[in-house]
Amino acid sequence: MAEASRKGTREVGLIASLAPWLMLLARRRRRLLAGAALMALTVLSALGLLAVSGWFITASAVTGLALAAGVAATLDVYVPGGAIRLFAVTRTVSRYVERLYNHDTILRLLADLRVRMFATLARLDDHALSQRRASEWLNRLTADIDVLDALFLRLLAPPVVALLAIIATSVLLGVWLPSAGWLVLVVTGVALGWFTVGQARLGMAASRRQVAQLDALRGGVIEQLQGLAELEAYGTLAGHRATLERLESRIQCDQRRLGRQAALGNALVGAVIGVLLAGVLWLGARAHAADLLSGPLMVMMPVAVLALNEALAVLPAAFTRVGASRAAAERLNDLEDQSPRQGARSEALRQPPPGALAVSLERVSLCYPGSLEPVLRQVSFRLAAGRRLAVCGASGAGKSSVAALLAGRLSPTDGRVQVGGVAPRDLEPEVLAERVALLTQRVDLFDASLADNLRLADPQASDAQLWRSLEAVALADWADALPAGLATRVGEGGRQLSGGQARRLALARLMLRDPDLVLLDEPFAGLDADTAQRVASSLDRWLEGRTVLFFVHALRDGPFDPPGVTDMVTLDDGELCNRSDYFRMG
Amino acid sequence: MATPRHTDDGLTARRWLAGLIAQERRLVGLAVACGLLAGVLTFAQLGLLAWLVATLLAPEASAPSALWPAFAGLLAVLPLRALAQWGQEAAGLEASLRVRRRARAELLDHLARLGPVWLAGRHSASLANQLVEQVEALEGYVARFQPQLTLALLLPLACLGIVVWLDWLAALFLLLAAPFIPLFMALVGMGAERLNRDQFAAVARLSGHFIDRVRGITTLQLFGRTRQATSEVHVAADDYRRRSMRTLRLAFLSSAVLEFFASIAIAVLAIYVGFGLLGYITYGPSPALTLFSGLYVLLLAPEFFQPLRALSQHYHDRAAALGAAEGLVALLNETPTAGRGADAGPGSPPAPGMLVSLREATVAHAGRGQVLGPLDLDVVKGEVLVVTGPSGTGKSTLLQLLAGFVGPDSGTCHRAAELSFAWLDQRPLLVHGSLADNLRLASPEADDAMLVRSLAKAGLGELFEALPEGLATPLGERGVGLSGGQAQRLALARIFLSDAPLVLLDEPTASLDTASGANVIEALERLAEEGRALVIATHHPALMAMAHRRLSLEPQTGRAAAYATPRGEHG
Repeated sequence: MAEASRKGTREVGLIASLAPWLMLLARRRRRLLAGAALMALTVLSALGLLAVSGWFITASAVTGLALAAGVAATLDVYVPGGAIRLFAVTRTVSRYVERLYNHDTILRLLADLRVRMFATLARLDDHALSQRRASEWLNRLTADIDVLDALFLRLLAPPVVALLAIIATSVLLGVWLPSAGWLVLVVTGVALGWFTVGQARLGMAASRRQVAQLDALRGGVIEQLQGLAELEAYGTLAGHRATLERLESRIQCDQRRLGRQAALGNALVGAVIGVLLAGVLWLGARAHAADLLSGPLMVMMPVAVLALNEALAVLPAAFTRVGASRAAAERLNDLEDQSPRQGARSEALRQPPPGALAVSLERVSLCYPGSLEPVLRQVSFRLAAGRRLAVCGASGAGKSSVAALLAGRLSPTDGRVQVGGVAPRDLEPEVLAERVALLTQRVDLFDASLADNLRLADPQASDAQLWRSLEAVALADWADALPAGLATRVGEGGRQLSGGQARRLALARLMLRDPDLVLLDEPFAGLDADTAQRVASSLDRWLEGRTVLFFVHALRDGPFDPPGVTDMVTLDDGELCNRSDYFRMG
Repeated sequence: MATPRHTDDGLTARRWLAGLIAQERRLVGLAVACGLLAGVLTFAQLGLLAWLVATLLAPEASAPSALWPAFAGLLAVLPLRALAQWGQEAAGLEASLRVRRRARAELLDHLARLGPVWLAGRHSASLANQLVEQVEALEGYVARFQPQLTLALLLPLACLGIVVWLDWLAALFLLLAAPFIPLFMALVGMGAERLNRDQFAAVARLSGHFIDRVRGITTLQLFGRTRQATSEVHVAADDYRRRSMRTLRLAFLSSAVLEFFASIAIAVLAIYVGFGLLGYITYGPSPALTLFSGLYVLLLAPEFFQPLRALSQHYHDRAAALGAAEGLVALLNETPTAGRGADAGPGSPPAPGMLVSLREATVAHAGRGQVLGPLDLDVVKGEVLVVTGPSGTGKSTLLQLLAGFVGPDSGTCHRAAELSFAWLDQRPLLVHGSLADNLRLASPEADDAMLVRSLAKAGLGELFEALPEGLATPLGERGVGLSGGQAQRLALARIFLSDAPLVLLDEPTASLDTASGANVIEALERLAEEGRALVIATHHPALMAMAHRRLSLEPQTGRAAAYATPRGEHG
């Protein structure tokens, strides 16, 4: 019992996984109902076309035979002829309109979903972000949401339309011959159950894995492309290729199984219709022999059954792959669960005082989920507004974590972090972004022009301002020599630039802003001594009147010392080991 | 080793697809045979139905029970037909699985030939998307469209044959409707194909746009730009919707046109047969119409159009495959730079003791002009050569040239025969897998003890001791879970694992603190003592101190300014 309930909390059911997305669909229920109605109209027109045609031909033949035998007989040819033409046109037009209308609905929904997912991502903090792989996210936004379009168009509307068609056919037949009506209702009812629930169970496991497997393959390909230099150097490209091939053959094994299961369902649709055809004809023939049913109606019945084929044929393939929709929904649910709930902010939002911001850490500890040891242990220090603190320490000592805490990107596991007397996490994200600037260790540049990357900091900045900021980081001459100047594209993640250039561009971007607290994580990494000195002097001017924390390995390590340091602390393995005022000599 | 493809005999999407499918001719043929059998069995089923009805309604009607063999036949057809249908789908599927596997292998081979420098200028997520999604997009074309293409010709002909035998005038009605269908489909298909190609470009742009923003989401948050970025995502997604709708409007039109003609033809036939049976039509074969022939003609009419309808439903598979194939073929038509991966230029291989020799070598990047050289350089066995110079002067390019990732644009670059080398740049590779997986990239056969030793040499010994899962500890993409310095040292550990005589290092200590930097330098010295040659691009004074020789590159031109500094004479 306990076992079952534990399992229940881990393993969410199909319906529960899809529920949030069904609710989202329900917001557009009028469009969806209209779409389903158009689908039903198409299927019923096909039914009407075949049934009336069968009836009409047989009635004509019977009348013709009677006339030939000299018996006076008449047949109204205009009403059935008109009905045949009407059904023929309705079927074509309603199908076209239905498909277009429904796809537009779905794509509108998809655009909304993509935005919703990106907004969810944008709310994640460093804890959640560090657990994900960029290539997985790509899949989240595109493939997962695309898979969910199957919900309405392939999984919700078709079984409903099939049920309508089954009921309509059963009633049509039952009016003239109840036994035939019941036969159709029972056989197709059972078949409908198989084509939906049965096929879904058959393909659930394999189709549920598909998205994740393709994702793994994509991740593997990205690794291979990005790491080709090392793989080629070590001659281990073939080994990595073999890994990709193993992933691929696992995917193909599932695709083969799913394809064959869907083919089985499709073949069964034809067989079920065939059995019904023979059965209904047999019942009709006996009723006709007993003079309970006219000839034309006896023919109309099996012909009408043929039309059910169209309503049932779409089901098996769609339901065999229902696991794909489920997996996609589960992954998206997962991501939404991770985005931090905006805690109810107790009192009216407190604003830190204007101007340079004081900073304090009180017995702050920080643990990453799943990590072995705390990154920070009982760290305390204060820095008055306008001063410049160097936080020294080896890589892995916890410097970047202090920076992330002050920038509100992480919450302390224990203790108190304050910026201008307010916890950074209690500030509105916009206010935080405006007043606190952080230069991260890893520089993010976007696949756009130099100008676009700089204007991220200030969309209104003029070209002259951009040039000034490039001048400040000694990149202006280099940029001026580029054929495309500020319009030069920097490539994915700034790959078209050298490491030092990317770093300086990030600094230039930062200096276009006007923050009150500046956190610089290894500002001069990858720069040569001359460049570092040039950048340091312009950085010094810009930092005037702001509170600054530099995160560096050590001071007095050559020409790479940050400018104007007034205080210094040293972090060693997550602990503060000494604190001293530091005055720069000469 | 690399056989550059010439663009003038460049591959086209159609030729490439045709070549792939030709290799699966037998499976596609099997699918066609199964489809043909299923179709013929359907004709038989409908014939039996019409015969039964005609017999049951004949003036001297026999009792239904007397007709049981015909009813039994009606049922006996079903399992056979189901089997044939299943066989058609399964054979087509198998063919498409094989085609996709082969296409992916060909693309990966080609990208490996193009090399790391070519790839650095590309969006690897877009490329990976092409290799995964766009290769998957070939599925329907091979599995369904190709067999259906043949069936759409054979089955209507067979159907028409039966109708001609029953009533040639009815056959004429079908024939009149038929020629319009391929005509309309061709017209509509051409437009749909172009739109589909645009849509693929849109999908690739959308994923590139997204992954770029996701990678940089921290920066977007820090700059308070997430709201703007979210609305940019909306614009991109909405653009995708509008493109899709344009494609779909045409794609659906082709099947609508087909259905319109099919419906009209069936309606006309029903009315013709009805009037014929009533005796209103006295022309041609009409007076000879019976209930059997009339009903059979009517039942066959939808079957005449069914294979064409199926073809038009799979038409978007074709358009999707061609659209995908164009993007893929564009990749296949990219040529590696001359001399990439091989000795380049005239002249002889380097003298014994030399690993790589450059003579008057230059390298230019598109849009950036000459970034290196002309440069003369010999890398000698066992030496430590330090390359310095302000950032952007071509230090990385020199290392790429020595590695063979780029060829010289002029001058020569010769490598010793069978030269293997180790590589470390500023963005070390971290694969999604265990710590051991990451180390074995350098040497797949290395045992655990060797892995542990290499970690210790790279200064990761302490970290390793602290890991409860040891070598099985999972690591993520781009070293999530490891700091920048740790990731760098992991890549260094790989170098210790390999036995390459030449080690190319691009700023190996850029993100290390003094202590671990000193560890690394010590280890690099051990490497040099083992007789390996190190070429190091760096600004680090302690690394410069290791140099046997120093090469200083000048700003802007990438020319060597100072050269050959004896050991110890550093600044």
